[in-house]
Amino acid sequence: MRLERWQQIPTGTRDLLPDETARVRQVATGVLERLRRWGYREVTTPTLEYLDVLVLGEGSAAGDQLFKLVDRGGEILALRPEMTTSVARLVATRLRTAPLPLRLAYAGQVFRWREAGSGRLREFPQVGCELIGAGTLEADAEIVALAVEALEAAGVGQFSISLGHVGFLRGLLAGLRLPEPELEDAQALLYQKDFVGLRALLERHRAAASHVNALLALPTLRGPAALAEARRLVDAPEIQAVMADLAGLERMLRAYGVWDAVTVDLSIIRDFDYYTGIVFEGHTAALGVPLLGGGRYDRLLERFGVSWPATGFAVRVERVLSADDGDAGGWAPDAVVAFDNGSRDAALACARALRTRGRTVAVEVQGRAWEDVAAEALARGARRALLVRGQTVVVRERGGGERTVALEEMVRGEREEET
Amino acid sequence: METVTIAIPSGRLLEGTMQTLEAAGYFAPGAWRTTRRLILPSTDGTSRCLIAKPVDLLTYVEHGAADLGVAGKDTLLEQAQDVYELVDLGFGFCRGIVAFPAAAAEGWERKSPLRIATKYPRVTERYFWSQGRPVEIIAMHGSVELAPQVGLADGIMDLVMTGRTLEENHLVEVAELFRSTARLVVNRVSLRSRAAAVQAVVQRIRSAVARRTAVPSV
Repeated sequence: MRLERWQQIPTGTRDLLPDETARVRQVATGVLERLRRWGYREVTTPTLEYLDVLVLGEGSAAGDQLFKLVDRGGEILALRPEMTTSVARLVATRLRTAPLPLRLAYAGQVFRWREAGSGRLREFPQVGCELIGAGTLEADAEIVALAVEALEAAGVGQFSISLGHVGFLRGLLAGLRLPEPELEDAQALLYQKDFVGLRALLERHRAAASHVNALLALPTLRGPAALAEARRLVDAPEIQAVMADLAGLERMLRAYGVWDAVTVDLSIIRDFDYYTGIVFEGHTAALGVPLLGGGRYDRLLERFGVSWPATGFAVRVERVLSADDGDAGGWAPDAVVAFDNGSRDAALACARALRTRGRTVAVEVQGRAWEDVAAEALARGARRALLVRGQTVVVRERGGGERTVALEEMVRGEREEET
Repeated sequence: METVTIAIPSGRLLEGTMQTLEAAGYFAPGAWRTTRRLILPSTDGTSRCLIAKPVDLLTYVEHGAADLGVAGKDTLLEQAQDVYELVDLGFGFCRGIVAFPAAAAEGWERKSPLRIATKYPRVTERYFWSQGRPVEIIAMHGSVELAPQVGLADGIMDLVMTGRTLEENHLVEVAELFRSTARLVVNRVSLRSRAAAVQAVVQRIRSAVARRTAVPSV
């Protein structure tokens, strides 16, 4: 059978049906509500940005991953691949004179070009936050604690936040005293997580043994003993400040009551060019990809003309949902309202009264017979079916049983529930 | 401890991979030869192995369908998936090279436009770009050495082990792009969410490889 174009959606995009949309919305609002309680207020930025803005934030290499389009004036626009650059632009323009620190939250769709067949989405929702204008350890602790709370609010059962620091890797790399091109190679190998290539490179250059051992042991430098083990492997001035920061963070995260969900993980490797301090990811055993990612990025806002430190994270909403078996659960309105000939106006008044009291109500719009309407609605899980007939309402309950109530009483909410 | 899933490539690297896993104590010698199952539980019950096409292997590991896997460096270079590459397993040695028909090998640098047939389009493209040389890639799935003989391409980029295939097809190597061996790779989340179990596998395989390379084979 030929599949027509109108039956398809572009690779890497999704339609969400009502149940799925409800779950996405629930996760997003859950996270936003938690952020709000910590003083983060939501901002909205355009889905489209000038390519130049995005390249300024993401680096020119990111250009390959952008969906671009040309404006009529010839300007190149692109769909945002994440929200932090857009927020940075917003802060550096419209919020330039706002008192610091700024606590901002966002939720929206982001777009990245991905190869077809990679099993990766090209459009997906992100919810996240940025804490701008505070370069302190307290700000880092707040963001990590909030990341734990965000995943909790998103309804993820078992998860952990792996917390690392780019300064540790930078310090180790700097301590190798490699000539510039080799240093770049070593950094690239580390970024690709190619520890075999890294070992070969370091062996060729006979770098300081302690730094080499610590770098190659990276994938095991995690868990409660990670800091002690790292100190045992390498005692270099380049990383002392980092180790002190991580130890300080541990104290604060204990005070926040979230330390149980955090693991020190010095092997966390995220983009070196972008991050300048702590980096972290949220993981759950049920999923092979991170649920959340973030860290400190003190250099980004500089590119937009304000030199404010910043830290933040973003939650991958669709990954949270695929990590959770969740009940796809059927959905049905609380009540279905049908009516006899001539009772339409009364039925609409009745439905309006029920909705005002917070009930979900569907009014019969196909003119079907009452018996059919009631049977189908109750079978699909509605709590009750109502038939408005003149000044009376027939109420049929899902659990069986039928009663007649005066329309007046039903509208006032006096006899909606069975007595 | 949780069960760990290890993805094993069928084909060229299967034999070496199974020998390594046997040496690490996961399977009785040769037991895998007699079965046609694609998922094999290890004899000690700590892990299971799934046998996958080499080209799919990194996909299993990147998505976390397998916690660990064995893949050739050639595949890692070509697919550039987001996995941790932790151990050089030392077997499956081969080289990625560019070769031309003997008659055209002289002065190939001056030929333009250059058409290269390969199973490694991305590696090939990256190499020629890094040389600042425009290239037209013809992506193939096998028998690459055929392409220059029938005028489909000027030359090839392919793996060589002994060089015999090149010789038989009158091809001459002009450049080496990479050297490849089998590597142990790990999913980035498994390394964290199943740290103890995954590190145990890495350690056992690492020691098996160290023992093998320490004893000179006769």
